Amino acid sequence: MTAPTHEPGPASSSAMMLASEITKRPVVTLAGAAVAQVKDLVFDGTAGRIAGFTLSGRGLLSGPLRHSLPWSGVHGLGHDAVMIKDESVFESRADVLERGSAGRGDVLGSRVLTDGGTDLGRISDVVVEVVEGTTAHVVGYEIASSDALDRQGRKVFIPLSETTAVSGEALVIPAAAAEFVADDLPGFAAAVQAYRARRRTEV
Amino acid sequence: MDWWIWIVVVVAVLLVLAGSAAGVQARRRSGGVIAVRRGAIGRRAGKGRVK
Repeated sequence: MTAPTHEPGPASSSAMMLASEITKRPVVTLAGAAVAQVKDLVFDGTAGRIAGFTLSGRGLLSGPLRHSLPWSGVHGLGHDAVMIKDESVFESRADVLERGSAGRGDVLGSRVLTDGGTDLGRISDVVVEVVEGTTAHVVGYEIASSDALDRQGRKVFIPLSETTAVSGEALVIPAAAAEFVADDLPGFAAAVQAYRARRRTEV
Repeated sequence: MDWWIWIVVVVAVLLVLAGSAAGVQARRRSGGVIAVRRGAIGRRAGKGRVK
């Protein structure tokens, strides 16, 4: 895998994107028709990957659509559009969000706690690493920092462990992750690599 | 009351309604990140609501 970058790169590179940059991106078929736009990212907290997208219509007055886009139906996730083969890849919203999942919720606004019980702040965005436009993993969070991070409430980026699962009312991360906080997205790529290397040596 | 006051009232009501409709529509179309847990299909307790 090549080093992550925040800049748009060639098809073989990986790139880091914020979830807020992906939402409202048009969903375009390979025939060139813009058939929807991304509403929500569906984050599989167990695997740490993007499981799909909920969709809304393209018109100003249109609302959420009944069907959603599973990740398996994504042909490519680029900086300007989400490409799909055609509309046959859509599945029902329930299938993408998991049938009967009444307890799902928005990650944004959740509190981040270390396993030592320190409140690091609240999640304001999610950092997604897209590899070659075909694989997307959640690698960290943008958080509005608390006093514990000594960043005067600024927004910072904190890496997500591959083994960290999202559950409950808060996201609990290892205390060591707080040592790898980055102030910007380009610097965050290096922080993620350093944090993963540190985790590997601990296992 | 003067007749023009009714025009002001009607315009004000229309502005409030238009603002409310725009707000509702913006909320309907706003996005986020929804967390699900794939390993817990069929078990409601295993699907964490994060917020």
